[in-house]
Amino acid sequence: MNIDAKYHPTPEQLEGYAEGSLAPGMNVVISAHVELCATCRQSISELEEAASEEWLRSTPDTRASSINFSAMIDSIVDHPQIKNDDTTSDNVPEIHMLDHSVTLPRALAKVASDGLVWKQLAGGINQATVTLDDQTQCEFLYMKPGSQVPVHKHQGSEVTLVLDGSFEDELGHYKPADFVVRTAKDQHQPASEEGCLCFAVLDSPLTFTKGLARLLNPFIRYRFRRATSAAAH
Amino acid sequence: MEDVVSGAGSMLMGSLAKTKSVKQPASVPRVSNDVSDSDEQLLIAVGNHQDRAAFNALFSRFSNKIYAMGMKLTRNEQLSHDLVQEAMLTVWQKAPLYDLDRGTAQSWIFTLTRNRCFDILRKMKRQPATVSADDIWPQEGDIDSQLVHEEAGTMEVEVSKIESFYGQLPAPQRAVVEQIYIHDRTHEEAAAVLEIPLGTLKSRLRLGVGKLRQMVGTEV
Ligand SMILES: [Zn+2]
Repeated sequence: MNIDAKYHPTPEQLEGYAEGSLAPGMNVVISAHVELCATCRQSISELEEAASEEWLRSTPDTRASSINFSAMIDSIVDHPQIKNDDTTSDNVPEIHMLDHSVTLPRALAKVASDGLVWKQLAGGINQATVTLDDQTQCEFLYMKPGSQVPVHKHQGSEVTLVLDGSFEDELGHYKPADFVVRTAKDQHQPASEEGCLCFAVLDSPLTFTKGLARLLNPFIRYRFRRATSAAAH
Repeated sequence: MEDVVSGAGSMLMGSLAKTKSVKQPASVPRVSNDVSDSDEQLLIAVGNHQDRAAFNALFSRFSNKIYAMGMKLTRNEQLSHDLVQEAMLTVWQKAPLYDLDRGTAQSWIFTLTRNRCFDILRKMKRQPATVSADDIWPQEGDIDSQLVHEEAGTMEVEVSKIESFYGQLPAPQRAVVEQIYIHDRTHEEAAAVLEIPLGTLKSRLRLGVGKLRQMVGTEV
């Protein structure tokens, strides 16, 4: 599937994904974008070539004295080889939102396959949190048509991938496959006229800055802590 | 764990700068002038006819590099040993799937080592097993695979409407919460607007917010 996305991950994020140096939550959201975006897929294969060059060039030839190489080789070549590409996933790739269903990119389908528990938040927002690691908070967000997320800012960065519908904020209008990055400096107020399903990854809790939504702050922090400590154990 | 991750970043920090120079030497054999001895030819020989000698050559070229990557990321000899075992096993098993369209052999081996390493690190840190490396970097074996369409988990909506809770507050507390949270007034300004002593305002605010949090808390 290829969609012409207007907004892409930053070069640092793509590089981290190619190298494997990101937290699982961030890897998942980038993976989902890359599956939809031919431009980024091309960048990734170039970055992988570059990373492999660097790996071979900079890594010392540390010989592991503990390894019995010939025994290891003997045990490996006893295994049958894989002749055809049939590792088709048993994932659930769709999510049903009210009147229609949305096909999810592979990594997100896997994330959603355990079942999502949706909670309704203020302002017509539905949220289903998933725990992928102890450094990020990941969630599917469904914004009903005409809904608005309360004005908020982030302590760390927030990445949002649009999966269906669209949303807008002060800086743009975002459609499927668009990858929206907001950092601690940005205070923004996303809204969706037509309704929107997205997947968001936060590397620290949101802080609402206006109105009654500020009352939610302690709970958001609490949930973030709970989500991350659940991951740690 | 932070230092483990940043170690990976710095290990490969120079790679962006090198991107431009990478393209043209990609298919040129680096080790020998004999084309039949390039990593790509060795890998294809392993894939086509289970060539043991070719596999031995790949093993001796890459196993120490794989071990070093493992030590850098896990700082654990046993896990690094496991990484060599698992990565080279994957090279053996998936060699029939390799072709030149998938890029250079070293890039192919790098990506599958990276993927095995991700899974080993995830186990080491006891992270949830929801997603494995093969879900995140699918290009290793099975790009564009057909996905099975099935019913997703039922949508369970738990209602938490802070506005309606707010309406349930006693009027004096609601008036105070409204001044502070909706009109964004300071405590002093709100006390002046409502014509109540500052102390009274603070206690009503504490009660009102406490009740709201209690109501939201039971829903969250
Ligand atoms: Zn892209």
